Amino acid sequence: MDPEPNNKTASGTGNPKDESTLKAPSKDPKKKDDKKEEDLSEEDLALKHQLELYVERAQDADPGLQKVALESMRQEIRTSTSSMTSVPKPLKFLRPHYGTLKSYYETMADSDLKKLLSDILSVLALTMSAEGDRESLKYRLLGSEGDIGSWGHEYVRNLAGEIAQEYSKRVNEEASVDDLIELVEQIVAFHMKHNAEPEAVDLLMEVEFLDLLVKHVDKTNYKRTCLYLTSSARYLPGPDDMSVLDIAYTIYKQFEEYPSALQIALYLDNMQHVKQVFTSCPDLLRKKQFCYILARQGLSFELDEEMCADDEDREALQEIINNTKLSEGYLTLARDIEVMEPKSPEDIYKAHLLDGRASAGASVDSARQNLAATFVNAFVNAGFGQDKLMTVTSEASSGGSSNWLFKNKDHGKASAAASLGMIDLWDVDTGLAQLDKYFHSNDNHVMAGALLGVGIVNCGIKNDCDPALALLADYLDKEDSSIRIGAITGLGLAYAGTQNEQIRDKLTPILGDPKAPLDVIAFTAIALGLVYVGSCNEEVAQAIIFALMDRSESDLGEPLTRLLPLGLGLLYLGKQDNVEATAEVSKTFNEKIRKYCDMTLLSCAYAGTGNVLKVQHFLGQCAQHFEKGETFQGPAVLGIAMVAMAEELGLDMAIRSLEHLLQYGEQNIRKTVPLALGLLCISNPKVHVMDTLSRLSHDADSEVAMAAVLSLGLIGAGTNNARIAGMLRNLSSYYYKEASLLFCVRIAQGFVHMGKGLLTLAPYHSERFLLSPTALAGLVVLLHACLDMKAIILGKYHYVMYFVVLAMQPRMLLTVNENLKPLSVPVRVGQAVDVVGQAGRPKTITGFQTHSTPVLLAAGDRAELATEKYVPLSPILEGFVILKENPDYREEA
Amino acid sequence: MPTVSVKWQKELYPAVEIDTAQPPYVFKSQLYDLTGVPPERQKIMVKGGILKDDSDWSKLGLKEGQKLMMVGTADEIVKAPEKGPVFMEDLPEEEQVVAVGHSAGLFNLGNTCYMNSTIQCLHSVPELKSALIEYPQSGRSNDLDQSSHLLTVATRDLFNELDKNVKPVAPMQFWMVLRKKYPQFGQLHNGSFMQQDAEECWTQILYTLSQALRSPSTSANLDTVKELFGIDLVSRVHCAESGEESIETESVYSLKCHISHEVNHLHEGLKHGLKSELEKASPSLGRSAVYLKDSHINGLPKYLTIQFVRFFWKRESNQKAKILRKVDYPLELDIFDLCLDDLRKKLEAPRQMLRDEDGRKAGLKLKEKSSASVDNDVKMSDAEGSSNGSGESSKAALGGGAASDKNAQLTGVYDLVAVLTHKGRSADSGHYVAWVKQENGKWIQFDDDNPIPQREEDIPKLSGGGDWHMAYICMYKARTIPM
Repeated sequence: MDPEPNNKTASGTGNPKDESTLKAPSKDPKKKDDKKEEDLSEEDLALKHQLELYVERAQDADPGLQKVALESMRQEIRTSTSSMTSVPKPLKFLRPHYGTLKSYYETMADSDLKKLLSDILSVLALTMSAEGDRESLKYRLLGSEGDIGSWGHEYVRNLAGEIAQEYSKRVNEEASVDDLIELVEQIVAFHMKHNAEPEAVDLLMEVEFLDLLVKHVDKTNYKRTCLYLTSSARYLPGPDDMSVLDIAYTIYKQFEEYPSALQIALYLDNMQHVKQVFTSCPDLLRKKQFCYILARQGLSFELDEEMCADDEDREALQEIINNTKLSEGYLTLARDIEVMEPKSPEDIYKAHLLDGRASAGASVDSARQNLAATFVNAFVNAGFGQDKLMTVTSEASSGGSSNWLFKNKDHGKASAAASLGMIDLWDVDTGLAQLDKYFHSNDNHVMAGALLGVGIVNCGIKNDCDPALALLADYLDKEDSSIRIGAITGLGLAYAGTQNEQIRDKLTPILGDPKAPLDVIAFTAIALGLVYVGSCNEEVAQAIIFALMDRSESDLGEPLTRLLPLGLGLLYLGKQDNVEATAEVSKTFNEKIRKYCDMTLLSCAYAGTGNVLKVQHFLGQCAQHFEKGETFQGPAVLGIAMVAMAEELGLDMAIRSLEHLLQYGEQNIRKTVPLALGLLCISNPKVHVMDTLSRLSHDADSEVAMAAVLSLGLIGAGTNNARIAGMLRNLSSYYYKEASLLFCVRIAQGFVHMGKGLLTLAPYHSERFLLSPTALAGLVVLLHACLDMKAIILGKYHYVMYFVVLAMQPRMLLTVNENLKPLSVPVRVGQAVDVVGQAGRPKTITGFQTHSTPVLLAAGDRAELATEKYVPLSPILEGFVILKENPDYREEA
Repeated sequence: MPTVSVKWQKELYPAVEIDTAQPPYVFKSQLYDLTGVPPERQKIMVKGGILKDDSDWSKLGLKEGQKLMMVGTADEIVKAPEKGPVFMEDLPEEEQVVAVGHSAGLFNLGNTCYMNSTIQCLHSVPELKSALIEYPQSGRSNDLDQSSHLLTVATRDLFNELDKNVKPVAPMQFWMVLRKKYPQFGQLHNGSFMQQDAEECWTQILYTLSQALRSPSTSANLDTVKELFGIDLVSRVHCAESGEESIETESVYSLKCHISHEVNHLHEGLKHGLKSELEKASPSLGRSAVYLKDSHINGLPKYLTIQFVRFFWKRESNQKAKILRKVDYPLELDIFDLCLDDLRKKLEAPRQMLRDEDGRKAGLKLKEKSSASVDNDVKMSDAEGSSNGSGESSKAALGGGAASDKNAQLTGVYDLVAVLTHKGRSADSGHYVAWVKQENGKWIQFDDDNPIPQREEDIPKLSGGGDWHMAYICMYKARTIPM
């Protein structure tokens, strides 16, 4: 944070003598200081005497003489303060006289001269006043209020520091701060002009007067200012962070940097701001880009006439928001990367690499292994529309082997039927056609799976015809509870985040139904939580609370009961304080669930906030040791991850804290730690986390090992990471006899190769700035289900695994032209570099490679266009980005 | 009559007229013509759900040009197969063993790994198993002492249990009976049982079994153990000094592989083991003289046991010290040249057949080669045979079973089926482990209660030369050819 060289003062004086005095000390100032007066060079000596003379004259009775002396003194100081590599000569020589001048100042009568002296004293105080006295500020306020920059950068900086101190003191004493603000304004203007945006922002934050910033930003510095604002917002306590982001939003909007403004609006979850962006931008193409950004966030958003006047255009925009083209884009990417060929689970297991070690019992089907194969097949071929188990027609599969669906046992068939939805993910038309034939099955499990599949295929996609609602609604009241759960969960997945009232009206009665079995109620709560995620909807909250209160004592001990508080928590996902009322109510619950509920609510409410106090709170909860039977520490550990995942620093700290929990925690904590690590590094295989999980995957406690194995899958989800794949392969032979662990290994293998490596589960996107609430909700549901692996994942509710569909997104950059058709351009992809607060135009990526779009982006990667020919309409090159031809582009000869 | 467009799968049917005077069923029939989806399977999304056959058009608020979505397939409905698959999880525990592909492990009862590994090796001989099953519970012959009888019964029961279980078995009963019969295994050291030499255990168990399984009804010829493991040796004892020469015959249960500085390979060690010098009183010289004993094999067993003489008594340290020297052994062993000429002649014909068969497998290359290089060819085709034919041939041998024993001819070629290894520096310490080839051709390392699958190519690596497990006893199974 070196101040920029202040050219103004240096060029303002042409005095050769000053130049030399300036240079002399900077050569070897140390040596000079040690020497006595007689060692001074002739020039210095002359200057010293000169200054001593000025000091004497300044105290002269004659105002004329005084004035001349003070002005000369000012001249000397000003010309020398331009460089700050050492204490400037005049300040040094004036040091012994600071006291004299100060005492003389007190005796002076009010006059211009007094102000002049005050200015000088203010500068002298820079080096001389005692710590905490803030004399520089004091004399500045008493002084002539002239151009602040003329005294050099260091002076301004020092002043800013003193203002901050003074301000907090005055606020405490409730004194007026008007004079300070005036000064602040000067300083901010100075900083903004001299590329010191961070200092300006810092000062304004100290004096809580950020609005001032808007006046001072201009075309050259608004980007850096906003970057600093947005990244510092992460470290501010609420509600300051909101106001900071509000300012950034205003600035972006002022400079028509709408995509960035939109992103901040989404971060603030402020629909009013989103609307403003649409209404204030006249360009249709840019609006299309906004729609892509909204679609990635997974928001349901209705455009109205105000936002887009033309009906046809509005329909086109709405179509983008509805994500209808997602499947098409994803397949474009797949074709470009040449991974369209379907893969079978065996291609993923790669048992031939473990020759001789693979289990030999191929003659008998294992229901558990077939179920694992079903999931692996679904995850690996997700969204490709073709696979080698489910979509192959029976005649193609060489007659003998019957339909794969029926190679699954009982409730396994539900997951198998639902896997069709996963394979046809986002492609509603094909998916529904594929699933339709299972609607007529007389097997309840198959039916349930088909219903769930409808939900999966519609996940994140909106359709005017609402096929999911129309198809599923009829099955909500069926007798068979698995069919009901299928329909309910399907609705939850299809309408996650939409806050669709029709769904609420259909689902809330189930919660109050005294005859409904516990599992139906639990999944209803989750479905409602998903649909109303982060909405703080009172009615839904009430319904779930009543359902919780109605549970009998024995119900509360059931593993599935934990989904009820989670459903409640999802309503407040990321909404911080808004949870308080509900949290109060939860204190009246049965003590069996009270603490669990409290932890779940808190962890959800502060998810993605990075709130350090909450992390500490959760750690405190985990520090308690219990004999047995306490379950609330599970959500507390997950809570650490959910809160801390917001930004990199906190994330690393959380990983370290979790390592401690591993060492000191009881079993119920240890088995959750791998899951928390999985969430922290989801789809981001950090090597040290990988090592920790690999170690835990051999843990003596099988629940810890299972969680670690699944988490290995989560951190490598969609990356095809060779190291994790190798680890899992070895684990598959290590655990070949233990069916439960082998099942987990298989699922993890499916995760790692999810979408053949084209997908990510990370809920954060747009350069890790925005958090998609539905994605996080899906992950949290899965992780909570994993808290009791035996009863849920390994029991008959394994289809909760499909909740990850909410977090599944292609990790791609697909550039499209103005007609939204894919356009291949060269891009550089490299590791993102943090450029906050850096001067000039620093490189934003490092170690890059040049590819042509569409390209895959790994965690922490950033892309930039490698051609000048096009201009991207979004500053963040992720997902769909519209390119416009650059009008200034000249083909190089 | 509003016109709507109907979307079905990826297709869009524009301008479908709806006659609102007619029930929706008519509209569905219209769509049936277009799409081929039977009306009862059409699901048409309209406001408020799916279009029902008795819905009232007027209440649905259809707009001109509205886009409707129809879901439904003309595909055949998937039917559940009449007979569902059988799942491993549903099987009783005994049948799960088959699926797992190997038998159970044995718990270590305190330094009993030598016993466990011996049992695992012997357990892999199906003929021994079937012989034991026939052994009567009570009907012991008179010449057999009580403890031997009990040991045989215990062996039978233990083998049975190993076959039945997936989870490890604790060989309590066997262990007790073994100690009773052979008190030396019950030695205590610091209050716990001592580690013992597995070879000793092996020999003693086999000896007991041979005593017990001697069929009482017929003559002593029918000795099952001898038939399976016995090796007939003919030795020429020759004294260089006096020129005396005598022929001795004996029957042993194992060949010794002596390890000296020249021995790098099992074959060399065996040759070494079959020649020995002994000092005995010479009747002609009237004093003791050095005799050379040169043995040859005259009768081959079905299971050839080879013991690596790795341990020798080291007086200074008062223990059985171990020779760590690396001695390679093959997965396929040919002991033709160790046999007596008579036996060789008998083996010629089956060996030729075996060669032919291998040749066929190797793609009839054999015939093109000149007969001069037959030796070479044998090796080559053997090598090829072992890579692509060993699975089949072992299966064929297994399939032969007891009934066709008479017809199956020995060839002098043997396949490795079990290895008992030792890790450590002396016979009475360290750790014994059995590596056994299963019926499905997979290798399993039985480390007490923990069976670990292994790769076949790793088995010959147990040849010593370090501190890793090294082969102590190898068991080879004869490759036979039906005549």
